[in-house]
Amino acid sequence: MAVDPITFSIIRHRLYRVVDEAVITLKHVSGSAITNEGHDLMVSLYRADGSLLMGGVGFLHHLTSAAEACKAIIRRFDGRINEGDVFLLNDPYTAALHTSDIYLVAPVHHDGRLVAWSACFVHVYDIGAKNPGGFCPDAEDIYTEGFSSPGVRLVNQGELDQDVLDTLLNMVRSPEMVALDMRSMIACNNVARERMVALIEKYGYDTVDEACGQLIEQSEQLLRSRLRELPNGTWESRQYLEVLDEVYKVNLRMTKQDDKLVFDFTGSSPQSKYSVNCTKWASLGGLFAPLFPLICYDITWNEGCIKPITMIAPEGSIVNCIRPAPVSVATVGAIQSVNNAACTTIGKMLQTSEKYVKEATSVWHANHFAIFKFGRSQRGGESIGIFTETFAGSGGARTYADGVDVGGEIPNPISRMANVETVENNFPIRYLFRRRMQDSGGPGKYRGGTGMEFAVVQHDSPDGGLHYVVSGKGANFPMSEGLAGGYPGAPNSYIWVHNNETTGDGTNIDVRDCLNIEDMPGKKQAVTWGVFPLMDDDALYVRWNGGGGFGDPLDRDAQAVADDVRGSVVSPEAARTVYGVVLTEAGAGTNAGVSVDVDQDATETLRRSMRASRISVAAAE
Amino acid sequence: MSAPFSGSLHIVEGKTGRQMACKGCDQPLAPVGKPWKPASTVRERPMEGAGGRAYASASHVVLRRFFCPGCGALLDTETAMAGDPYLNDVIDA
Repeated sequence: MAVDPITFSIIRHRLYRVVDEAVITLKHVSGSAITNEGHDLMVSLYRADGSLLMGGVGFLHHLTSAAEACKAIIRRFDGRINEGDVFLLNDPYTAALHTSDIYLVAPVHHDGRLVAWSACFVHVYDIGAKNPGGFCPDAEDIYTEGFSSPGVRLVNQGELDQDVLDTLLNMVRSPEMVALDMRSMIACNNVARERMVALIEKYGYDTVDEACGQLIEQSEQLLRSRLRELPNGTWESRQYLEVLDEVYKVNLRMTKQDDKLVFDFTGSSPQSKYSVNCTKWASLGGLFAPLFPLICYDITWNEGCIKPITMIAPEGSIVNCIRPAPVSVATVGAIQSVNNAACTTIGKMLQTSEKYVKEATSVWHANHFAIFKFGRSQRGGESIGIFTETFAGSGGARTYADGVDVGGEIPNPISRMANVETVENNFPIRYLFRRRMQDSGGPGKYRGGTGMEFAVVQHDSPDGGLHYVVSGKGANFPMSEGLAGGYPGAPNSYIWVHNNETTGDGTNIDVRDCLNIEDMPGKKQAVTWGVFPLMDDDALYVRWNGGGGFGDPLDRDAQAVADDVRGSVVSPEAARTVYGVVLTEAGAGTNAGVSVDVDQDATETLRRSMRASRISVAAAE
Repeated sequence: MSAPFSGSLHIVEGKTGRQMACKGCDQPLAPVGKPWKPASTVRERPMEGAGGRAYASASHVVLRRFFCPGCGALLDTETAMAGDPYLNDVIDA
């Protein structure tokens, strides 16, 4: 019997709130910046069979993978799942994305009956991989990527199994922080379980179970109905990712027929010897990360959204690798390329509909940079931590507006970065600058949001500095694709500034006085993959990609370009050569704080000339 | 009467049926159901520096630009390596 609409709506909203409260709990207990500041986390609810019931916020590519984790635990512990249990799973070839994103999944029982699951993850402080922090550029295979479990009981009927926890903690760096990560997830699951039981106590099992079934059915029908409103067709996209001297491709052909979508990754590169690969569960999650917010923005994210979708990922490819291929960099490697490729094809499809054109977007922040710094802190303890700037992102341009500068990313709607002061308080480093990166947003009628740039030096370190693990890609390949003529956002850059040399005249320029990379003395070395020092007077400079643009840059409002130049977001040179905007004399060659204006006549003449030259015979020669 | 296809292209009724056409000048490019890019004016330039100094390191790829042969409007872009096929977006006829 169908649940009445009012009760159905109340239960649906209670499920949202259960997830929200569990997320708050997770953050309150965790002491890790990657969780609290970066929001590299996820909490969701699942049906008794492990299917997704209520997808929560955080990294969305985990929603389907955690469902697979629940199903794997159900298979492994069939008949031995008890009230109050919590299970741990982090094997990427079973369900997880990479070993350092540990799933804790907990059954929810009512009157002795298994009625649901809650699941969460955090990127734990360390997982005992070859490199500190979990991302492991030096890994040759999964065996060098740290502790990995296809499923183990961590809490037995409400009692923590200390032997299991100690076994994990014995294999990781900074075990006290990993212990806190584990306890934050146990607390999170406890809250989710208590609230679910309270919900069932209030409305009765049959009513809640029926409402949950209806909710999944509702999502499926709404998504299928939406797909039927869009034209049938195929849309293609392509992503490159490079590691050192190797280049890999992720090819996607998305086909929409009636009320179904097929994502076909045929033609993608064979799996890599480097840890940028991902497993099929990770690829599935990767394509859902943009699909949920872009197509299902007003539909509950659950199993009903998954049913109309099919994925084809060739076995042995970079998007469906075979054990024991290394995968520790997957989340910023192949998974993110799958995110980007799917965002592009979905955006292209949505453009074909007057009703949904405003939901289309160019690619946001296509290129995470995982840089984990590690070493002794100014207080003497060991510290490991990611530069959370990687979560700051950049918005892709929409069909009606610019992308948001430093606007986050599609796969994680709540991502953010830590304050400079927070980082400096916890690590022996000092920021020289951190700001929006000029010209990084993809040009277009609507500009992609900018990324940023920053530089750091060691400061007050007891060891003269520290080291960092960088799993960087995208320095040679822009990855935030544009739409409808918009350019891709700028690529990333990672520079080690060697500053131990005296200048030719015997005087040293103090790198700490430099406010941009160009002024920094010493040799500049691109670093993208491996472990490097940040010692003495050296500096690390990082910049990250802007979002993709939308439309022809020559169609951009010239006044908007002038505004961008005033704000140092676009250079005067790019204003002229890319946007065809001629600025007044005062503005030419200047930057922030200078009054600039548009020379309308000269701009119209220049733009007319640029359009003509695009299709002239001479240009083809 | 036209239907949208993208921010730069739309679908118009032509003498030979429904056509993909430039949104700016209605230049027809291909029948609906067929790839339109071969009918455009294609230009490739190094990605390096394409959007300003932040693109300085993009040395391995080109920016492929597809222009309307009628009015010079930029219809689409691709990040590509030499020899990569065009990315084709097609809705069913």
